[in-house]
Amino acid sequence: MRRQRPSWQPLDVTGRSRTTGPEAARTDAFPAAPSATAPLRRGPADGDPARGAAPVALAGVRRSYGAVNAVDGVSLTVPAGQVVALLGPNGAGKSTTIDMLLGLTTQDAGTVSLFGLSPRRACAEGLVAAMLQNGGLLPFVTVETLLDTLRGLYPHPLTTAEAMRRAGVSDLAGLRTEKLSGGQRQRVRFATALLPDPQLLVLDEPTAAMDVSARQAFWAETRDWAAEGRTVLFATHYLAEADDFADRIVLLRAGRVVADGTTTEVKALVGGRVIRATLPRVDDHLLAALGRLPGVSRAARRGDTIELRCADSDAALRALLAEAPAVRDLEITGAGLEDAFMVLTADSATPPAQLAGSAVQIRAPHFGEMAP
Amino acid sequence: MNPLALTARYTRFEMKRVARNPRFLIFSMFLPVVMFAAYTSTDATDALGDITVGPYIMVSMASFGAMMSVVSTGGRIALERSGGWSRQLRLTALTNGQYLTSKIIGGFTLALPALVAVFVEAYATGRAKLSFGTYLEAGFWVLVGMVPLATFGILLGYLVRADNAGQLIGGMTSLLALAGGVWVPVEQFPGWLADIVKALPMYWSGAAGRDVIAGSWIGWRGLLVLAVWTLVLGRLAARSYARDQLRA
Repeated sequence: MRRQRPSWQPLDVTGRSRTTGPEAARTDAFPAAPSATAPLRRGPADGDPARGAAPVALAGVRRSYGAVNAVDGVSLTVPAGQVVALLGPNGAGKSTTIDMLLGLTTQDAGTVSLFGLSPRRACAEGLVAAMLQNGGLLPFVTVETLLDTLRGLYPHPLTTAEAMRRAGVSDLAGLRTEKLSGGQRQRVRFATALLPDPQLLVLDEPTAAMDVSARQAFWAETRDWAAEGRTVLFATHYLAEADDFADRIVLLRAGRVVADGTTTEVKALVGGRVIRATLPRVDDHLLAALGRLPGVSRAARRGDTIELRCADSDAALRALLAEAPAVRDLEITGAGLEDAFMVLTADSATPPAQLAGSAVQIRAPHFGEMAP
Repeated sequence: MNPLALTARYTRFEMKRVARNPRFLIFSMFLPVVMFAAYTSTDATDALGDITVGPYIMVSMASFGAMMSVVSTGGRIALERSGGWSRQLRLTALTNGQYLTSKIIGGFTLALPALVAVFVEAYATGRAKLSFGTYLEAGFWVLVGMVPLATFGILLGYLVRADNAGQLIGGMTSLLALAGGVWVPVEQFPGWLADIVKALPMYWSGAAGRDVIAGSWIGWRGLLVLAVWTLVLGRLAARSYARDQLRA
């Protein structure tokens, strides 16, 4: 019942970005007239051929550590103005991809270009900034001194006060960095990333260690920032964040892109909905029968609750009511990103591509599974 | 961005940060000054080697303070590597070369206060009455003798992990000081040990300063030892640096 494609081609969908073509990208990234909210951004020097080039262009990038292929041929182009989530489980290659993107690690093969420049050059020009996972804050100096120092190393920075205000750390200015809490450190890192006034912001697990309100404030500020036509690429394993915030989701598994599309499209990859219902005394035999109903791709049970993952929930519901008239408390929900994530990033024994269509085999280790 | 301006800016930050560190003030300034006072309290005018005890110990303590400054650069590099600050800097316009240049300039500049403090102390207490030019020349040669040690500091910075760096560098500097005849004058070592010590770079820093006071200069043997150590340690430092860049 598993439908496979001979080889997986990731959907290359641009997403609901505000800009797609190079022309639009240029207008967005380098507005013709300065405004109060979006002062004229300096890109690569005027007349530079890099002007208008894609903020991120990775082509066939690979990196192995010993026998492990951390990143195994990733190609990714991000047009200006797009907010892209790099989603994947631990070890999927998110951080290695980001390190190569920023020039912190050299790739074994493939090319990386940011705004048509080498990562090193793009960073030196202040076009790119990153919020790295862990570290990055020098101990025994105050937040303000740290930012002032970094500020002197960029060609067209914001003022320290402005970066602190935007990151919500103005009240921490006089504190020494080693005395900050985890969430505070993360916000100070955000300030360091805003400081060069970049066109591309790269965030590696940005909201780890933040509490719920800090997380909301962080995304609100990042959203404002991106609304000025700038580009954001962030790695996360908070699925809700990718769902809420990204225009486009790139799903990584074992160093490869297994899906690339809008949030809606990635969810559609799982194909369909989930039916939950109360049905007492379901034995293994009945559960297996439910799993074989038309439109159902997988059946599972937890106590008196059954859960049917469906490619065609209409057909499944009709069949369920006929098969088990005692069923009650019916609930049909759209499959969340969590489900897409589980399907597409399941262990590598599962082929990556089971897409739309009637037969989707869902392997979700978090729910009591019934072997048919 | 202008590379000179960038380097200057980062050097200033580096020095400000170090100068405020109490550990730096204790080991590189306070300790040499106190030890000079203690070692020369009774016999400052006795002969030791070609010169008297006063200038001899003065040069030893000045080179000890200078060594604490240039070698501790390594501890800061190790700390900044493990804390992710080095990665952060790689996302700025500051290049790796400018970063290292700042570290080296900072290390040598912060060696100066130790030299000046001990020299002033020796002059003020009357234990080493020398001409201004002699102080200047002695100070210069002490710093020349620091070149291989600065290289050694950078090597340690890229070789060790931050949690070990403090202890390792503390232990290493004590050993170097002992081997260089800072604690015990080499003239009092047995002959075979003195020969070993004279093949090590630390000895020549003090010797170069004392030779100036005795009216001669370090000599070709000393320069050769310093040059060979600088080359060997420099190669090793470059190798661990390259490995660190790959790993990051």
